[in-house]
Amino acid sequence: MDPGSFRDPSGLVYRRGEVLYRQIQQAGAADWKAYLDSGLHAKLVADRLIVEHEDASIEEALLPGAVAVIRPRRIDPISYPYEWSFSQLRDAALLTLELQSRALDTGMRLKDASAYNIQFDAGRPILIDTLSFEAAPATEPWPAYRQFCEHFLAPLALIAHRDARCGLMLRDFIDGIPLELAARLLPGRTRLNMGLLAHLHLHARAQRRSANDPPPTDGAPPPVRRVSETGQRALLDSLRRTVAGLRWKPDSHWSGYATSTSYSEAATASKGRIVREMLDAVAGRRAWDLGANTGVYSAMAADAGYRVVAWDQDAASVEAHWLRVRDGASPAILPLVGDLSNPSPALGWALEERSSFLDRDEPDVILALALVHHLAIGNNVPLDRVASLFGRLAPQAIVEFVPKEDPMTRRLLAARPDIFGGYTLDGFRSAFETTHRIVREAPIDDSPRTLFLLARR
Amino acid sequence: MPFLAYIDPGSGSMLLQVLLAGALAIPFFFRRVISDGWHRLRGSRDEPAQVEGGEDASTDR
Repeated sequence: MDPGSFRDPSGLVYRRGEVLYRQIQQAGAADWKAYLDSGLHAKLVADRLIVEHEDASIEEALLPGAVAVIRPRRIDPISYPYEWSFSQLRDAALLTLELQSRALDTGMRLKDASAYNIQFDAGRPILIDTLSFEAAPATEPWPAYRQFCEHFLAPLALIAHRDARCGLMLRDFIDGIPLELAARLLPGRTRLNMGLLAHLHLHARAQRRSANDPPPTDGAPPPVRRVSETGQRALLDSLRRTVAGLRWKPDSHWSGYATSTSYSEAATASKGRIVREMLDAVAGRRAWDLGANTGVYSAMAADAGYRVVAWDQDAASVEAHWLRVRDGASPAILPLVGDLSNPSPALGWALEERSSFLDRDEPDVILALALVHHLAIGNNVPLDRVASLFGRLAPQAIVEFVPKEDPMTRRLLAARPDIFGGYTLDGFRSAFETTHRIVREAPIDDSPRTLFLLARR
Repeated sequence: MPFLAYIDPGSGSMLLQVLLAGALAIPFFFRRVISDGWHRLRGSRDEPAQVEGGEDASTDR
């Protein structure tokens, strides 16, 4: 059973080998039928807003009590909100609102608004939780309003109005950023934004007030609250305008890095040719580009037929990369924010709800181009540890060695004593020797750098 | 009929939502009337500008 699917009693997710299943329990039976009968599912699938599924036999249920079993298409790789750039999180938020809006049209509603229910598939956000809808009159308030604000609005507002690194707070707060915390961290001028004033600042205050309410008397029914249908849609419209109105202007030297490197034209051409030959030699399906920047070599891998995850620690580079992917540059690429020196940990209940960077599905090959000097010199990671991490990540690796005489490495050493005696081409070879076999070693023309194709031993 | 959600909707969040829905409904309603009128004038009323899906406001209670 998927360790992230225990919260909702209406169903559960599990895997058998490579096949993903979702079992619908008695508790979710009526809503499941209403969802299919309303035609909502068919419309959402046609517009690629929800993952499609095939019906499976009830015999394939994992636990007793199943009323139906389905095989949803697997989305690969799974990523998490703390790995998304601003626009990825915003696109996921807008999809969530669109789904709720369409659900209202058919007498249904989204019963939750978890950012973890959205994944990225071929350059677009998509809902993966097929059991997210329930039948409800539009005159009931939206129970997921609070979750939407905590999972989406608060982090987006913090990134837009405070700092992009606030997105990483989602690692600590896996059920969304508490609104009173967001309200305290946001600049006072955000109170002049009507949407943020209402959905964030007043919302935080309303939560604080209700926390002081006395507990309900035993057996008393919860208060019945009603909204008009127009009010329901107005609230949704206001959330949409607020989210769509948030802007983040990245300011980073990395996103201009590709155009300001030390490469000559001949060296760039030579590097591109060798990387492509190595990608073709591996002939795998999945590649991870580590330190992808804005994705020059990710595009090359996609062109060579790979599905690529393009990791970079710089949110601005990932943002620029995502915007190009979303605009149709290459749907085979998923840019994500990740810092190799402190990658996403396992999180949540029993540390099993969200898997760590190392526990995602293994790629066939990793690209580590112009990266090792940042790890070895910028982060003081010994080369044999770099080799061992690369070996854990994938069976094959395309790695660029940037020696000390290269201007980029000289820059890293400019203000510090050189304590990196072993950082030489020979040192690189012997560090990788224990974990990898050198399949090919190719010096880049007109450059002191060398490319390696390495296979895990 | 009180509803029971599997996530905690938060009593403060629910109360605020009711108040906001009431306050936002009026400008929203008029914006939609104006937008519908505009589309009717231009002969393209099949494509309302908002994301709300073209539900007729007159069905509201």
